[in-house]
Amino acid sequence: MVEVEKIREEARRLLQEGQVRGVIGYVRGPQGVWAVPAMIRNPEDVDRLVWNPTCVHNLVLFVVEEKKEQARQKEPDKRPLAVVVKGCDSRAINVLLQEKFIEREEVILLGVSCENSGVVDKKKLLNLVPSQKIEEIVYGNNGHIVAVIDGERRVFPPEEVLADRCLECQANFPVVYDHFFGEKIKKEAINTSPGVDKIEKMRLEERRRFWEEELSRCLRCYACRSVCPMCYCTECVVDPISFAVEPTTTAEEKAKKIKWIEKSPLLSENFVYHLVRAIHLAGRCVDCGECERVCPEDIPIRLLNKKLEREAWRLFNYVAGMDSQAPSLFSTFKETDPEDFIR
Amino acid sequence: MEKVLKKSDLGQWVARLKDFDLYGPVRENNHWEFNQISQLANFPEDYTQVNVPLKKILLPNREVLFQFEDNRNGGPYLQEVLPEEREVVVFGVRPCDARGIVLLEKVFSSEIPDIYFERRRQQVYVVGLSCYPLPGENCFCLSLGGGPFSTKGMDILLTKMQSKYFVEVLTPKGEKLIKAAPEYFFNPTDKDQQERQQLERKARAMFTRQIEGVEKIWPVLSQMFESPLWREESYRCLKCGICTYLCPTCHCFDITDEISSTAPLQGKRVRVWDTCQFPDFTMHSSGHNPRPDKASRLRQRIMHKFLYFVETFGDIMCTGCGRCVSKCPVGIDIIDILNKVASHGA
Repeated sequence: MVEVEKIREEARRLLQEGQVRGVIGYVRGPQGVWAVPAMIRNPEDVDRLVWNPTCVHNLVLFVVEEKKEQARQKEPDKRPLAVVVKGCDSRAINVLLQEKFIEREEVILLGVSCENSGVVDKKKLLNLVPSQKIEEIVYGNNGHIVAVIDGERRVFPPEEVLADRCLECQANFPVVYDHFFGEKIKKEAINTSPGVDKIEKMRLEERRRFWEEELSRCLRCYACRSVCPMCYCTECVVDPISFAVEPTTTAEEKAKKIKWIEKSPLLSENFVYHLVRAIHLAGRCVDCGECERVCPEDIPIRLLNKKLEREAWRLFNYVAGMDSQAPSLFSTFKETDPEDFIR
Repeated sequence: MEKVLKKSDLGQWVARLKDFDLYGPVRENNHWEFNQISQLANFPEDYTQVNVPLKKILLPNREVLFQFEDNRNGGPYLQEVLPEEREVVVFGVRPCDARGIVLLEKVFSSEIPDIYFERRRQQVYVVGLSCYPLPGENCFCLSLGGGPFSTKGMDILLTKMQSKYFVEVLTPKGEKLIKAAPEYFFNPTDKDQQERQQLERKARAMFTRQIEGVEKIWPVLSQMFESPLWREESYRCLKCGICTYLCPTCHCFDITDEISSTAPLQGKRVRVWDTCQFPDFTMHSSGHNPRPDKASRLRQRIMHKFLYFVETFGDIMCTGCGRCVSKCPVGIDIIDILNKVASHGA
């Protein structure tokens, strides 16, 4: 069992010794039981840190943000950042290392094991206990989730309340870390991706209709892109104004910027947005599932990434983020790579 | 005018509204949405609140303003495009969303009316549904002068009672809807009146979330431009558009040209939703961005709603629907922030 006190101790030591400029972790949010990400800068604040099944966020996003922020500062604090990472999150660190977005010494990884459980899907839990007030959500035995509701302990089996990504996860403890909390209990995925199986069985026409229906609801709030630690480009093809515009950029250069996609949330444009994003995540997505969690329209975005994850495995025996030393999928090729898709 | 309608007669009445396009709450995956419907037998027991508020009909996320062509008959050519003429009845609108319309009117129907909004507004009939029990875990309309039975912005307000709907007919538009099937509407008895009053009292007692001292907020805010609060509260912000796109009062937009042909040059000028939470919203063509960080963008969201709008229109631009709280992926909580602001002034 992960003891939160041990995480706090380590965080306190790192801050007190001035080894890190901050600790990115989870704290209790303003709506009680649900944890939110936070940056802890003072040793006296480390007691705010929590670890429980509501720690859903992939905190590597904030490593990316801090890196960008540093680039803007004249005299940045170069000390590393400590960050709490789950199994999937740690793989995102590996991808950033592979792509040389960060260097290993820029982060101190506080790895936590999800043991044989995972994080809670808030929507699933609220469907089971709609209006009641949940006071506490903690890990129970055998991957079970215990929720204290109106003073009463209720135990939920993992398949009822865990996020789909956790039910399908096969890497439930960090693959890269500096400090490790909890136990490395290898668990078997319940199914690697029933959603993708279902869609692969659909006829082409049926599949198109499915995605048309789902993607027609997209509001283009870009929450899926904003939450993704892999979407770190300073310039994105979907933005109407290029961030790469500098005071010195000439009018001619600006005029030459191609508009790849309309801002309107029309079905055609929504398709372009989601497919561009999916392709750019092939071999990079670590299935932290945040894109799907944050979608206000409940679009099953993960399915696109899971499909490409499956293809990367089928074609190249490649799993994203398992090894920071391995060359990244998109930047390498072998002469023996299959190319039967070229016809 | 007050009436009652038997629950079993709701469908009969709605069936009579054949000349209108009907919208009502429809379940989609895990949430509710206002979609076109052909009938409405009842409001499901588990109907809470729609995801995208009524503004999706009044201020759609894509509005074509006009079409253009660079050379037709020897010169540039413009063709005005107005929203199609169709009368729309929306059922199940919650009081917070209906109050949102009243606030949008202040912006789009004041001195210089926006013809696109105006036309849609004139064509929309709002049939509300009062809130008992409260639809959301973060409802806080009561703190902002609203309430679970507020009638502002509505043509009709329905209250679900034991066996009937209590029907408050509030405008001539509301009367027109009732006249489509007058035989289903009866005068309420004293008992009906009492039942309705009792439900309202019960609903008002259900609020768990509130702002203490809302009147303190705007004078305090005007002193808080440089407050460290914005940086603290926005650290975890994702810079996504959820809080504003799902807000019943947020109305910022971008205007863009959609080119369908380059030779000859043809296209449409469209108005699309935009949000102060996107980093490029205030990006200047020089490359300078006056709101360069999350702190300044969160501050803008709060200041616009609780200070600038009050200064310009004398009203708070928030109806307390709680969507931005419930739907924020990182738990940024406007109620919590406003309570912190209010306590600054204490």
